[in-house]
Amino acid sequence: MSAHEELLDNVAAYALGALPPSDAAGVERHLRTCAECRREYESLRPAVTAVAYSAEACETAESGAAVASPLLKSRIMRKVRAEAAPRRLAPPAWPAYLAAAACLALATVTGLQNLSLNDRLNRERAQTTQQVKELADLAAPDSKRMPFHHGEVVMHGPRLYIAMHDMPMPPRGKVYQAWTLAKGAKRVAPSMTFMPKASGTTLVALPEAATTLAAVAISVEPEGGSLQPTSKPIALVAL
Amino acid sequence: MNDASRLMERVRARDAAAFETLYDEYHRLVYGLALRVLADPGAAEDVTQAVFLKIWDNPALFRGGNFGGWIARVTRNRALDVVRSRAVRVQEDVPESLPVDESLEETVIANLDGARVRDALERLPREQREAIELGFFGGATQEDIARETGIPLGTVKTRIRMGLRKLRNVLEGVVTV
Ligand SMILES: [Zn+2]
Repeated sequence: MSAHEELLDNVAAYALGALPPSDAAGVERHLRTCAECRREYESLRPAVTAVAYSAEACETAESGAAVASPLLKSRIMRKVRAEAAPRRLAPPAWPAYLAAAACLALATVTGLQNLSLNDRLNRERAQTTQQVKELADLAAPDSKRMPFHHGEVVMHGPRLYIAMHDMPMPPRGKVYQAWTLAKGAKRVAPSMTFMPKASGTTLVALPEAATTLAAVAISVEPEGGSLQPTSKPIALVAL
Repeated sequence: MNDASRLMERVRARDAAAFETLYDEYHRLVYGLALRVLADPGAAEDVTQAVFLKIWDNPALFRGGNFGGWIARVTRNRALDVVRSRAVRVQEDVPESLPVDESLEETVIANLDGARVRDALERLPREQREAIELGFFGGATQEDIARETGIPLGTVKTRIRMGLRKLRNVLEGVVTV
């Protein structure tokens, strides 16, 4: 028997959770690279879930059937409610920039000429597919907000946004550029360059992970952006 | 995204009402499965509480996919740990990072309920059903099953595989056994 045949023979028991650890590890490694075995695993896994459901308890104890005590639920919910977020009676009011952003009035993101074309395209593509997610992040009650030049820096998990309103257009031949300072770093790194919308609303999703950063800043730079700031930052916030 | 995944997003934001809905939806699966493995109502309640509070304390453990399948795997592992608290765990949690096509699972088990699955299991040949139940609820390896029943290992493997395939087909309505 080939290695593949021998492993394929064990995929059903693996899906069921009936292999000793050493054998399970072997099947698992093989599943990552073998499409045929993976197909077998994928086709059997729903059946295993079904086996679990065959033990499902009843809602009420008719004919002596198994049923969980209602006291169990109150025990669990007491702990959960004590730790839950306070209930919001009304959704938080949206800042002005957010109402504008909801119309997808996103800032034009211009390329950083110092970056390769590919990198730039990737950033812009990511920007587009993330628009919906961005709005959700900005409106999320658990996002962290810090006042920033004409607006806020908003963090939701690893994602990081700069949202501003009433941004004046930069002087001719200039753009705004975001800078990030990684935790423990001595110098800022160049991030995106951007222009405000005609309405003055600006929403920039930074590609960096918020969790790795200590600070964010903005400065006015020559078109195409700079590798090091060439002017004093107009806004700076520690995260 | 299915309902449970949406509820889990709210649980991540510490929403007690969303958690309660999840509990109402899945506690019968969790409790019933724990009871089947442990055959002890008190211990089954302890496992149920541990599973749900684990989800509340660490909702990021769920990384998408079929929630029922996931919570069933978590429950089974927890209950088996109780059964052999001093022994070695048979098989670790199935890694959620395996590149699995979840859509398949969604189609087959979209509307699972206890009665329907019990009916489907009843329709399997008895020796196939027994091998599957010993492995899943009893936490026995296929080698354990072969040893305890005196049946060759190859036959046990075939029974598990044929039984799971048939169960899947019955639930999909492809064949009637
Ligand atoms: Zn293979």
